Amino acid sequence: MKTTLTGILLAAALVWGSGCNKKQLKKPASTGGGESSQANALKEEDVRQIARVFAQEFAAELKRQNVSLASTGSATNSEARPLAPVRTEVKLNSAPDVMDFYEANPDGFIVAKPEDLPTELSWLKGAELEEFASPDAQRGGTFHEYTSDFPRTLRFVGPDANGAFRSHMLDYNAVYLVMPHPNGDGYYPGLAKEWAYGNDGRTVYFRLDPDARYSDGEPLRVTDFFFGLYLMRSPHIKAPWYNDFFSDDKFENVTIYDEHTLSIRFYKAKPDVIERIAGLRPIPEHFYGELDEQYVEDFQFKFEPTLGAYEVKQENVKKGESITLTRVPNWWADKKRFFRNRFNPDSVKVTVVREPAKVFELFLKAELDWHGLALPEFWYDKLPDDHDLVKNGHIEKIQFYNDVPRPTWAVRLNSNHPVLSSRDIRVGMNYALNFEAVIEKCFRNDYDRMRTVADGYGPRSHPDLKARAFSVEKAKEHFAKAGYTEAGPDGVLRTPAGKRLSFVFTTPYKRLDEAGVMTVLKEEALKAGVELQVEVMERTAAWKKISEKKHEMMLGALNTSVEMYPRFWEPYHSDNAYKEDKADRYDKEGQLKPGLTPKPVTNSFTLMADHEIDGLIERYRESEDLKEITELSHTLIQKIHDHGAYVPGWVRPWYRVGQWRWVKYPQDYNVRESREPFEFHIHWIDTKDRERTLKAMEDGEASGPAAIRMFDKYKLD
Amino acid sequence: MTDNSSSLNETGPRPRQFWEVVVWLLVGLTLGFVTGGLIGGILGGFIGNTFFQSAEAGGGLIGGVKEGFLWLGGLGAITGAALCATRRFNPQTLRKLKRFYGIKRGYWSLLILVGAFSISLLGQFFVNDRALLVVYEDQVHFPALPFAASNTGKDFGLDKDAAGQEYSYEVNYRELQAHFERQGQGVVIMPLVPYSPEETRRIDDDKKHPSPPNSESRHFLGTDPIGQDIFARLFYGFRITLIFALMFTLVVYLIGVVIGCLMGYYGSWVDLIGQRAVEVWQNIPFLYMVIIAVAAISDLPFKLPAWFKILVLLVIMVLFSWTSMTYYMRTSVLREKSRDYVAAAQMLGASTPRIIFNHLLPNTISTMVTFMPFTVATAIISITALDYLGFGLPSGTPSWGRMLKQGVANLHAPWIVLSAFAAMVTVLTLVTFIGEAVREAFDPKKFTTYE
Repeated sequence: MKTTLTGILLAAALVWGSGCNKKQLKKPASTGGGESSQANALKEEDVRQIARVFAQEFAAELKRQNVSLASTGSATNSEARPLAPVRTEVKLNSAPDVMDFYEANPDGFIVAKPEDLPTELSWLKGAELEEFASPDAQRGGTFHEYTSDFPRTLRFVGPDANGAFRSHMLDYNAVYLVMPHPNGDGYYPGLAKEWAYGNDGRTVYFRLDPDARYSDGEPLRVTDFFFGLYLMRSPHIKAPWYNDFFSDDKFENVTIYDEHTLSIRFYKAKPDVIERIAGLRPIPEHFYGELDEQYVEDFQFKFEPTLGAYEVKQENVKKGESITLTRVPNWWADKKRFFRNRFNPDSVKVTVVREPAKVFELFLKAELDWHGLALPEFWYDKLPDDHDLVKNGHIEKIQFYNDVPRPTWAVRLNSNHPVLSSRDIRVGMNYALNFEAVIEKCFRNDYDRMRTVADGYGPRSHPDLKARAFSVEKAKEHFAKAGYTEAGPDGVLRTPAGKRLSFVFTTPYKRLDEAGVMTVLKEEALKAGVELQVEVMERTAAWKKISEKKHEMMLGALNTSVEMYPRFWEPYHSDNAYKEDKADRYDKEGQLKPGLTPKPVTNSFTLMADHEIDGLIERYRESEDLKEITELSHTLIQKIHDHGAYVPGWVRPWYRVGQWRWVKYPQDYNVRESREPFEFHIHWIDTKDRERTLKAMEDGEASGPAAIRMFDKYKLD
Repeated sequence: MTDNSSSLNETGPRPRQFWEVVVWLLVGLTLGFVTGGLIGGILGGFIGNTFFQSAEAGGGLIGGVKEGFLWLGGLGAITGAALCATRRFNPQTLRKLKRFYGIKRGYWSLLILVGAFSISLLGQFFVNDRALLVVYEDQVHFPALPFAASNTGKDFGLDKDAAGQEYSYEVNYRELQAHFERQGQGVVIMPLVPYSPEETRRIDDDKKHPSPPNSESRHFLGTDPIGQDIFARLFYGFRITLIFALMFTLVVYLIGVVIGCLMGYYGSWVDLIGQRAVEVWQNIPFLYMVIIAVAAISDLPFKLPAWFKILVLLVIMVLFSWTSMTYYMRTSVLREKSRDYVAAAQMLGASTPRIIFNHLLPNTISTMVTFMPFTVATAIISITALDYLGFGLPSGTPSWGRMLKQGVANLHAPWIVLSAFAAMVTVLTLVTFIGEAVREAFDPKKFTTYE
């Protein structure tokens, strides 16, 4: 590294020197009159000479450093041949800013020699696991999806990158080092061919698959993991969550042994450490070079080359209309175990349909291949079992029980709000929000009431705590404690000074409003003396408002990932609630100070800040012992329940979809840990069946018996 | 000659007819109320916001606007009525009105619309979830009256509601009626349609919603997916739409006429600059401004009541719609001001406002009146369209646009979309009939000869 730097310094000095020369030589030219042209020519010759010498020296220097000029560009290496499997030491050759970044943290980025790799490692391959895709799968066809809003960006990180479209580009598409097997325990190989745990329990060694290759043809380089950390920690991506998630407090060290071997050390020997570590995605350095403050704008609509099966090509982006993802030709993982028979359609067309009502009509017209039927009005009313398309077997209705932590449908009260900062008001709101009625009246008792802030984590979830049930009496009791004692003529409680108990109730989900959820909550809350001003906003605008913490209370869900134990720090630690330093947040008694600035773009929608909870969360994060983690988790769930800013809503132990009969699926329909039907891409399109079905519809014939299927293999009792 | 000559020929005051007085009183009342209310709202909002502290954030502003609007509006209405009480139509206008009376289609349309509107103004007594009359233990309550106190279930001896909750909130009068019937004591008289437009029936009954029209449960037009009564929503939607459209028309005319007249009367550089200003203003895209304003309102640091949001929407719509009227007024005034009677008035030393308002305006009335019904129709259409797009009336307010949208989303429940569509078509047809009749009656060509 040092030598490269000297080289660069030398080069800079030379360039500067030649510049100076030029200036000196130029002077007489401007004063010299008639002789000037001749003088100029002479000087040009001088400069050329200097440049020649410089180039020779520079080339020699590069050669000494064992770096070929071409590798800075992409000329020679972009040829489609795997890197030679020779175990050679890796030389770093990045842009100056990136090099500086690595050098600033010499313990975090280590380039070791191949012989430094510990020899006693026992390498794992996931060979004992079963494939979960179906060997019957057929390649081809186009899968038709929709999105409710055109993505504001094609970046994976940074402002607005967390939109719905990201799952198509990244979450359901990316290949990580290793990936958790969706049907149970264990990990299957992704970018890593093999992996091994270090003795400290927090270092994992990986051998990369030499075939791995980006969609632009460039091979995966081991240094892309270095670069992944560089990008994720860069202030230019404007994503504090990622900055923190990948900070050097957590990803302590990445060591490169040779061009296919690396190790990553996490800060703690968490029981599921490999999953955390494998979350570090390699990022194509050849695509970015280095980042500057222009990153967010420059890459707004540029698709980063992917290691996954589907890529977004510039010509397939129709602004405001649709984006088509196409299958990478000769995808490197085509024939790999766990990847074969998956990602079957040749392309996935994602059309923007802004009108929720139109989505369903488009589905019925076969312009979309599937539609969620989770809402009872869809399952029972809009697509009943005796609907023509169902009866004639054109559309299948499927209910699939999965087994995962559920999306957190809940009301989050902004505890920074002057009124909601009172615990009594918050607890009162818990009693005033009638989710039982919502489940009964809007969801026809198909759903269950969510119990706590962290359901679905097995033993880590609280064994017996339940959400507070609707009670007018208890709600009014708590509101009275906070000073809202009088009932106004409109039935809304008020203080003796005349301040009404009224909140703006925001949600980004139009369909919930259309299903009556907001209205039921509003009407029931009025019984308890609270006025809710329902505000149903367009999705992106609403999330913007919420992530800027301008909401008073919001109904929404965050997707949870399948994990061993819940996360508390992101949503409930005061680090994510307020901008001020930790020392400035609380006074001597541990009470929250007034006038703090909410921190935008974090998942702390409750702005929960409690000295005791903070302490517990810190201990929880420190802990490496599963038993302690479990106990702390129970305590935290109880404390958050007591705090009251999180009002648990509902959970749904299954998903229901309607899909056209040409969308084929494996025998069990899907994997245990799937949260959406097409997340793992194990479905396929039968193009011939599609033609047949469309023809049968035209002729008014049935294309098969009605198919209303229930898959309850993974149902818990 | 023109209209004026004929009025000059009249000798002695003509006895005024009853309807003439009524019409003038109404005109005075509404014009006075709208003008006074506008000024009062602006002044009150300003004063309230600067000088009054209140427990609610923004309470001063909202209270100020409300008080200012009501008080100055009331004052304006009285003044207007007083000023107009002694006025009379000039004989030409009278003749035109008689002609209008003669065009039966338009005349009946007007009667139906005015009748329906009057009923909707008293809507509380026809469509309401609050009872008209409750007799319980020698006490008589009139909950449907505008400022009646709300009664909890406990007041009528109901300690728990159907779900077993404490009945410390406003009683459901339909439930109370059933309860009294079971108990054999007390009387509850409900309005014809015992539902309010905002309440959902989801909680109360086990019926599936949307449910088709059913006269037994008094859902005369059925319910929507969240169990709201379609008739109640149509009814109150009609009221709010029509009030909105009328207010809109009046204010647009007020501004448009004044500015148009000024441009036409003064001509030269006033006209030149005015015209350019209007052209520039007209090119600001209306829909974007509405979207921006709606977004800005939702970002305000305090909560606004629904009526305030409607008022803001009205102001925005007016701000971007008054321009077209100025063109017509400008041309009419330009034409009229070169007439001899204007010169005569000037010679007699009449002030400019007097000439504009007393001489020019009555002679351009046909221009105004013929456009008015169509402006009302446009206003109804645009507010419905805005609602449909989700930028119109605040959520929760019964609105036709939202009903249409709901209907389109629930085509398996055709009564929703059919009701909304039929109501819309009927009202627009009535307005158009009136408009055509007015145009025919006020057609100046039949009465004006040009020298």
